[in-house]
Amino acid sequence: MTRRRNPSLIAGGAIVAALTAVALFGPILNRTDPLAINLALALAGPGAGHPLGCDSLGRDILARILAGARVSLGVSIVVVALSLAIGAIVGGAAALAGGRVDGAVMRTVDIVLAFPGILLAIALAAILGPGLVDLVIALGAIGWTGYARLVRGEVLSLREREYVEAARALGARPGRLLFRHLLPGVAGPLAVQATFGVGGLIIAEAALSFLGLGVPPPAPSWGNMLDTGRAFILVAPHLTTAPGVAIGLSVLGFNLLGDGLAQRFGRRR
Amino acid sequence: MRTERRFFRTGAVAAISLAAILVAGCAKTKPQTPAGYLQIDINTSPANLDPRVATDAISARIGELAYQSLVRVGRDGAFVGELAEKIERPAPDAIVFHLRHGVRFSDGRPLDARDVLYTYASLLDPENHSVKRAGLAEMASLEAIDNYTLRMTTRRPYAAALEMALLGIVPRGTPLAARDAIAAPPGSGPFKVVAFERDEALTLTRNPYYPAPSGALGGIVMKVAPDATVRALELTEGICQFAENDAIQPELIAYLSRQPKLRLIRSNGTTYQYLIFNFRDARLRDPRVRRAIAYGIDRQAIVTALLRGNARLATGMLAPENWAYNGGVLNYAYDPARARALLEAAGYSRTRPLRLTYKTTTEGRRLAEAIQAMLRRVGVAITIRTSEFATFYSDLRAGNFDLAASQWVGVSDPHQYSLIFDSRMTPQGGGNNRGDYANPEMDRLLRAGDAELDPAARRAIYARVQQIAAADLPYVSLWWIDNVAAYDRRLDGFEPFPNGSLLSLAAARWFPSAAAAGAARP
Amino acid sequence: MIRYFVRRLTALIPVALGVVTLTFALIHLVPGDPVVAMLGDYAAPADVQEMRHALGLDRPLWRQYVAFLYGLTHGDLGESISQREPVSRLIRERYPATVELAVAGLAAAILIAFPLGLVAGADPGGPGDVGAMGFAILGISVPHLYLGPLLMIVFSLDLGWLPLTGRGGFSHLILPALTLGAALAAILARMLRQSLVEVSDADYMRTARAKGLSRPRALISHGLRNALTPVVTLLGLEAGALLTGSIVTEIIFSWPGLGRLMIAAINNRDYPLVQGCVLVFALSYVAVNLATDLLYSAIDPRVRLSR
Repeated sequence: MTRRRNPSLIAGGAIVAALTAVALFGPILNRTDPLAINLALALAGPGAGHPLGCDSLGRDILARILAGARVSLGVSIVVVALSLAIGAIVGGAAALAGGRVDGAVMRTVDIVLAFPGILLAIALAAILGPGLVDLVIALGAIGWTGYARLVRGEVLSLREREYVEAARALGARPGRLLFRHLLPGVAGPLAVQATFGVGGLIIAEAALSFLGLGVPPPAPSWGNMLDTGRAFILVAPHLTTAPGVAIGLSVLGFNLLGDGLAQRFGRRR
Repeated sequence: MRTERRFFRTGAVAAISLAAILVAGCAKTKPQTPAGYLQIDINTSPANLDPRVATDAISARIGELAYQSLVRVGRDGAFVGELAEKIERPAPDAIVFHLRHGVRFSDGRPLDARDVLYTYASLLDPENHSVKRAGLAEMASLEAIDNYTLRMTTRRPYAAALEMALLGIVPRGTPLAARDAIAAPPGSGPFKVVAFERDEALTLTRNPYYPAPSGALGGIVMKVAPDATVRALELTEGICQFAENDAIQPELIAYLSRQPKLRLIRSNGTTYQYLIFNFRDARLRDPRVRRAIAYGIDRQAIVTALLRGNARLATGMLAPENWAYNGGVLNYAYDPARARALLEAAGYSRTRPLRLTYKTTTEGRRLAEAIQAMLRRVGVAITIRTSEFATFYSDLRAGNFDLAASQWVGVSDPHQYSLIFDSRMTPQGGGNNRGDYANPEMDRLLRAGDAELDPAARRAIYARVQQIAAADLPYVSLWWIDNVAAYDRRLDGFEPFPNGSLLSLAAARWFPSAAAAGAARP
Repeated sequence: MIRYFVRRLTALIPVALGVVTLTFALIHLVPGDPVVAMLGDYAAPADVQEMRHALGLDRPLWRQYVAFLYGLTHGDLGESISQREPVSRLIRERYPATVELAVAGLAAAILIAFPLGLVAGADPGGPGDVGAMGFAILGISVPHLYLGPLLMIVFSLDLGWLPLTGRGGFSHLILPALTLGAALAAILARMLRQSLVEVSDADYMRTARAKGLSRPRALISHGLRNALTPVVTLLGLEAGALLTGSIVTEIIFSWPGLGRLMIAAINNRDYPLVQGCVLVFALSYVAVNLATDLLYSAIDPRVRLSR
């Protein structure tokens, strides 16, 4: 089999690798404190010492973008991992158990899908108090359903494959069957969906920030930077440009990577 | 055959999509603001228009335009007669109001003492669950001597009795809060409410029975626009011709003042913003800690950078415009060294910081972040909790906070001090002493102030109250926010009020067509 | 067909019940009290207590739940606490605006996605493909709350072509529809391209080309129909999301829809109104999915409804 050219995979992989490097090393290389305010520089444009300018409290935007990379990417990746874990276990178990269990699980998925996620986020923020953990729980509680459906569908079709039949004939318990034999077979499509998922979550975090439910202050996230900057779009557009570009670039990167992976695994989204 | 059916089905899909697009395209068109009307953008929707139940700030503002009360708050915070042309105090516990003749409601009915009696009676009816009932607790009776004379008695000599005469009067027989609609009953003010769609817009038109000068505006459309940028854009484009205070973000004032079509005016305001301490927390009962926090906040820097100079540093709740104001109190200028020293004396340092929870509304977040960063430098580590108003408010009333940011709007009589600093006036006791502050001398003064009728003696009492409040620091006084209004230059005669009232719009003149002709000239 | 329809409709009942129960549990877990939110600063505790009683909020939770379900079976959504109007009336006033916005967003997405997808799919790897897909990926990458204000500033303030905010004629609809539909347009365009690339390898396409049809013509007259099936599935899934996802757009453009009503209701702790809004959102979502399934079978008769 000849390997086809896969520019999406290369470009997406490069962007994601670059973003990861920025998130890991950016705050170490740039020593400016992202939390230090200097009210005299409020809304100051780009200039010496502050290459991207300052925000409404006079904090350095570049430092906040770098620190925000950790928060925004970190939250998105953790949420995807959490959703994926829940979805894989629930979806896989439903497919293996079949019958009523399967029906009940899929009804639950239907309910969560039909439920406005915003309400869940608002309710959790009000109960737990806004915080990183709360944000991850809220986004994870909404996000697992897609993975559950995917895993269930794939497992149902894989179940009939010969190697699975063989394992079952040898007396493998369902848990072992799921983790050793079935889930590895689903890994490809799951990886694709998870990659797209990270991109979607970066945008979701921004939307939640808009409703006052995002990463709590003073920690910077791209979402809350974009949201607070929006009020100054007429007088200081540089407040939104930086986080806007950062969000756009990372969503682009993860989507390209997802495309590339899908092509690699010979599957459609 | 089969291909044909499929083709038909594809056609159906295409038709559905097209229909969807057409439906989207043929949405009904709404009429614009009527000619001669002024559009005002507001940031939040009024909650309840009936003056017997309305409590929120914007409803009160609209109420002043549509309803008249026995008295009104004047520029200096003192009461002036509105429906009452003469007010007498025949006894320490009685007030007599002589009503003006010839006043009519917007439906043409004449207004007399029976309408006043009815309005008060329906508010006091327990069936109606009016929130304002508690505000009339000191009233013993209200009776009509004749159709144009009323006598109010209070349970004891009560200095702030005229506060109870601020209720907007509705025609007798008007049911309260009709079950199927939020009604705005007729009033005798210069305007009447003709349409109200919650969270959208409210339309006021002239009360035909209220004299209007020639060239006066024909009506007002108040449009709810929650986004600050959108409000600024609408002003710039001339879609909206007037916005004030909360509806104008300080950082956008410079932008708006550059717009040639707009006039921007700024005047001193009385809205008081403060931080409240929770005395239930032993750490905050230590006066050194409270003072350290007051000294650790650079209020002037915040006013300059965040509020763009649109506020005056406050010495207490009462602004200099108030007749009872006393500025000779302890003042806390920014002094981080002193703040650190006080905290060290109390047992805290930057390595062993005082940890506090600071609660505020979503809008208050930027201020909170500035204060957080300032206090971090002196050894106070603050966790900010922002939430929407309902959650914030219930936390505030429940005493569920260490430090919270809030404000008092429309303070007039110093009696307000009793509601917030009297030790009995906790939320459970029906008051607003939310931080559980208690000082016996303060209690004694506040009760004396409520019972003292001589203005000079009262002023002396509240001068002392203001000194104690500044020394005890139940609140850190932040600032009084300026009144800012941005409006179309073609509007003539608007005069701002310290409390933000829009009442002068009733006599303002509005010539939209004249300037339009001017603009057409080369 | 009818039996299938009935079966699908009855399957909605447990979903609706689940949504209602979840909403009830969540909103009562959230701190805050509708009466305090409504009565405000000067309310005496006795008045608060009395009002709670009048509204039935002092009853045990399970009794409130049962009462709510009972009302629901009679088509009664209750009365809004903060506005003292029937919930059903408030929703009826706002729902058309939300549907209008969602339909417009969908229409905008389709109108943008089809040309892009066709251009890209007609010549995979060519300059048209790269351009169209580059444009599409930009659409996914820009968040609503950045795109909305940008569009306002460019098309309304600078160019003066379109109105800024609010609901009115067709022109009012364009900017919010673009904001809402941009991401969906991008997803659809990519899906359509992918789908076209796959069908162009199919036998019937080779036949069509052998008969002498040019590649674009063969694609449009034969390929497109087959390529539509996965696109419509996706459309159904995303159209439901469009309905609930319009909240941000509604706030930015001051659009008088159900999303803003729901946010206000949550902030006021207006339990019955929140319940009503969530129920309507959920049912709309499910209904759109059902409609998609029916549409799906119309496009592709191979899909049997009794799946």
